[in-house]
Amino acid sequence: MSALDGTRIIDVSTGVAGGFCTKLLADFGADVIKVEPPRVGDGLRSLGPFADRGSPAETGALHLYLNTSKRSITFDLNTASGRLLLARLLSGADALVDDRPVGTLENDGFDGERLAGEFPKLVVTQLSAFGQTGPYASAPWTNLTSFAAGGQMAATGDPDREPLKNGGFQADYQLGLNGFTATLAGLWAAGESGTGDAIDVAAMECMASTLEIMLNTYCYAQIDYWSGRKGNVLSAVLGLFPCEDGYLGVHAMPRNFPALARLMDAEWMLEDERFRDSASRLANDDELRAMVYAWASQQEKKVAYQRAGETRAPIAYVHEVADLFTSPQLQARNYLQQIDHPLAGTLTYPGPLFRMTGTPSAPRRAPLLGEHTEEVLAELGLQPRDVDVLRGTGVI
Amino acid sequence: MARRPLEGIRIADLSAVWAGPYATRLLADLGAEVIKIESPNNPDLLRALSLLPPDTERAWNKSAYFNHNNRNKLGCAIDLGKPRGKALFLELVAKCDVVIENYRAEVLDNLGLGYDVLRAVRPDVILVSMPGHGKDGPERDYVAYGTNVEQLAGLASISGYIGGGPQKTGISFGDPVAGTAAAGAIVLALLARKRTGRGQYIEIAQRETLTGLIGEYVVGYSMTGENPERIGNRHPAWAPHGCFPAKGDDAWITLACRDDADFAALCDVMQRPELANDLRFAAADARYQHPDELDAVIGAWTSARDRFEAFELLTRAGVPAAPVLGYRDLYENPHLRERGFFERVSHREAGSWDMERPVYRFARRPTSIERNAPCFGEHNDYVFRELLGLSESEVAALEKEGITARTPNMASHQ
Repeated sequence: MSALDGTRIIDVSTGVAGGFCTKLLADFGADVIKVEPPRVGDGLRSLGPFADRGSPAETGALHLYLNTSKRSITFDLNTASGRLLLARLLSGADALVDDRPVGTLENDGFDGERLAGEFPKLVVTQLSAFGQTGPYASAPWTNLTSFAAGGQMAATGDPDREPLKNGGFQADYQLGLNGFTATLAGLWAAGESGTGDAIDVAAMECMASTLEIMLNTYCYAQIDYWSGRKGNVLSAVLGLFPCEDGYLGVHAMPRNFPALARLMDAEWMLEDERFRDSASRLANDDELRAMVYAWASQQEKKVAYQRAGETRAPIAYVHEVADLFTSPQLQARNYLQQIDHPLAGTLTYPGPLFRMTGTPSAPRRAPLLGEHTEEVLAELGLQPRDVDVLRGTGVI
Repeated sequence: MARRPLEGIRIADLSAVWAGPYATRLLADLGAEVIKIESPNNPDLLRALSLLPPDTERAWNKSAYFNHNNRNKLGCAIDLGKPRGKALFLELVAKCDVVIENYRAEVLDNLGLGYDVLRAVRPDVILVSMPGHGKDGPERDYVAYGTNVEQLAGLASISGYIGGGPQKTGISFGDPVAGTAAAGAIVLALLARKRTGRGQYIEIAQRETLTGLIGEYVVGYSMTGENPERIGNRHPAWAPHGCFPAKGDDAWITLACRDDADFAALCDVMQRPELANDLRFAAADARYQHPDELDAVIGAWTSARDRFEAFELLTRAGVPAAPVLGYRDLYENPHLRERGFFERVSHREAGSWDMERPVYRFARRPTSIERNAPCFGEHNDYVFRELLGLSESEVAALEKEGITARTPNMASHQ
């Protein structure tokens, strides 16, 4: 059995953040009903790469990954009938997740007052860049602009170039992950007291809260420890260094330096006054950096990684996506999973974010657009005659 | 007043540094009672990362890095390496719903405190471990600190400037990601326990967690068999999409056009309406083929403007945009200030300052900074006397034997 068996979530979101939030809930057993606009479907369906077969709307990698384990129902929220259907869905649901622009849910006819009055047990999670209130609330946003506003981008990239976002959709994913945790806390609280809630989660605030030592130390003492971008190499013992066939990542705390020196066949450094403690190493960082660059350039990534691991030297290598498919560690742990899809075929997916031994996740393939429309409408008690009317008027 | 969302849940927290403490910070912010347990001889490393002058008295209670990540928690000191310390810890576990740790893979078992031992004293306990590589597999014992996780997960390889190498992220990105996932995992397990009556063991391999945030690249590779190209600040389908220089020193603004309507609005804002009719730029596909020409035009416009002025002009026109904000900008940001993102705290040793508030805002339940991060050993009496029923003299004896302490031995972090 799964952790969220019997929990029903309605998902009206259209982006990566909401998609990831409800994917996690669905993979851990919730019945997630994804409401998609008829014909075009969710925005996630439009991004490639696409499997070399089937309709693009069904075979994009982002859609296949983010919509696992969900059911898809298509109806048009811009019609009165569509809004009636949403109200019917919400009356049987535990939570609603939305990542559309601030104000959209209100425009659909579901403002906070109505939601609290008509669906008192419902948990409503609203995900956005800036939050539901405040001067920026109505500003349009994307993954890139959230990454800039949250403070992580200012610290990422090379000092002499423009700030850089992380690869993929990391601001949206962080927002979605926070939405997952917040929604679960809401479900817990609603289960304890019988009263639902409305939860406002802002990417900007989630990201600003995770700036390592930067924001907290500035808040406390206005200490400017970290301004600007540091590129790939913070010091000789912390950074990415090119090697023969890729990049090695070094992250040595003072207690790991002896293992690093031994790995470099440079144990003499432990006795040398320039390098024997962290203060002297910092004072001679340029010299040490040159040695690490020179050493790394002679290394093969997988060989160096294994030698480092066996001697507990703090070195990893930068795994290309292809390396994830051949990683002995991920293979031994059966991390990657094969999932069949009638149009996209059998593809490889990441395993769960974490492993629950008592209630493991059990992902199923992403739904076809509108695959569950009739099934869900029947569960809502609609007669075939009503369904025909909705189809005839283009609502579903 | 309504109860906080997780009020009534008690968590024994053995974790240190960032990933684990971030998980319990989120849960403590939601009202769970988190009891942080530190070793007298190996206190949380963050207590040593204060950046304060070396002669600062009792600096271990003044580290902002520690105090921000441990607010709303209680703290006590127990040496788990001593039999009496271990026994006291197990007495505490019997009164807890959850235990969380982020030691290296083998440490908890070596301490004799594995899941079976905990379950013997608390049958429905939820135990969460957060090793970098997982509890098994050939790389189980390899060192994996914060920045290594993004290298192992594949994130560093898909990040980077066009034509350049992989890029390190600006923070130890894997830590808060694993921490946020761990907080979710704990609430999931509580929900499951409520229905089944059973606790469980949860394993969070941090590198696996982070690969879950680039999942489309894994699925994509299984379609194409090719590593993705690094595309800097660009988007796989939209253009323009980037980070542009603004007026001033190291000042930048990002903007993104999701469709032709956004692009037309951008052209209007720049007073270059002819661009929207230029065949090189009119349609999304064409824009995607000519990004450099377009970026040069946009850069010329942004360079003449303050980043906040550009932000206002663009967002008013409906174009997604945001200035690149550093931590100083965030501290002063009027939007965050108006939302009450910073709360004033007053700490008995560290003084007063503004701290970021709990990130999940519930409309019907309070969430706030109710208490400061614990000074070292601050709640020893609460734990040993109130919860475990020891007498004052018994606690004094524990201190004398070094099983608990009120002053940490910081030597291990020097």
